Amino acid sequence: MKEFKPINSQQELERLIERYFDGMTTVEEEDAMRLKLAHCPWSSQAIDDAKAVMGYFAVHSCQQGRHATRGMGQRSIGIAASVAIILAIGGFAIWHQQQASDICIAYVNGEVVRDNDKVMTLVNQDLNRMDNATNAMAEQLSSLGEALELDNE
Amino acid sequence: MKRITIIILTCLLATMAAVAQNGLNINRLFDGRYKKAAGATEIIVTGSQAREIGLTVYHSVSVTDKTQAEIIENLVVKDGAQAVDKEVEYRNGQLYYGFYTMPRQKRANRYIFFLNQNLARKSPKNVVTIIYMEGNASADRIKKLIRK
Repeated sequence: MKEFKPINSQQELERLIERYFDGMTTVEEEDAMRLKLAHCPWSSQAIDDAKAVMGYFAVHSCQQGRHATRGMGQRSIGIAASVAIILAIGGFAIWHQQQASDICIAYVNGEVVRDNDKVMTLVNQDLNRMDNATNAMAEQLSSLGEALELDNE
Repeated sequence: MKRITIIILTCLLATMAAVAQNGLNINRLFDGRYKKAAGATEIIVTGSQAREIGLTVYHSVSVTDKTQAEIIENLVVKDGAQAVDKEVEYRNGQLYYGFYTMPRQKRANRYIFFLNQNLARKSPKNVVTIIYMEGNASADRIKKLIRK
């Protein structure tokens, strides 16, 4: 950011105030003017008017600064809490995956079957059903093929 | 505080999504609704037992309730629309058999089998079966598995 040269005299400040009220100042000049007004011991009609006008802004920006400081603290706590929560949830997900990594269970008519062999027998029954269906498909395709061959002869 | 709540909720949803495995429509069938239902069989196999058949996840549901057939079929067909490969057979406008290869997720192959035995020509049975399989096994390996 561009730095404005320091205001070293009351006249310089008054000229700046005049330019400020004419809307001719830059942001850097306004910042420097505010700073000077806040700390300078000088007094004149222009300076006192400027102080009165700037007073609101000074107090307002002061409050904003305080809020910002508090906000930063809250943000840090928020970030820390979020990281902790993400880690906890990640840990839970990994734990859940590990817990879920060895499951062998079946529910038959509302009854729980935990015996691995019985469950795997049920799995085989499932697969056999699918096998029969694919065999039927294969048979159908084969008979279609035969029909086409006969038709072409 | 609001931001933290949003972050927590986002993380929870992400975790739930991860735990829910795969973002498929058929997941709704595996929400536990058939665990206590009469005429239903639900099988869940993961880990070492699943590895014995070349999978990481085996999850199936078989129901005898005819009203469930349409619900299951609709969900399977929805997922089937996303499949990278499929073998399907319709009978009388209804899905009889479906074998869907779903897009890979988390480096795992995913397959869905569906069979409505009510539509079988030889000895039809009042059973609808859906199987979700996940693992490194190829489609050919899965087919061999069911032809063992």
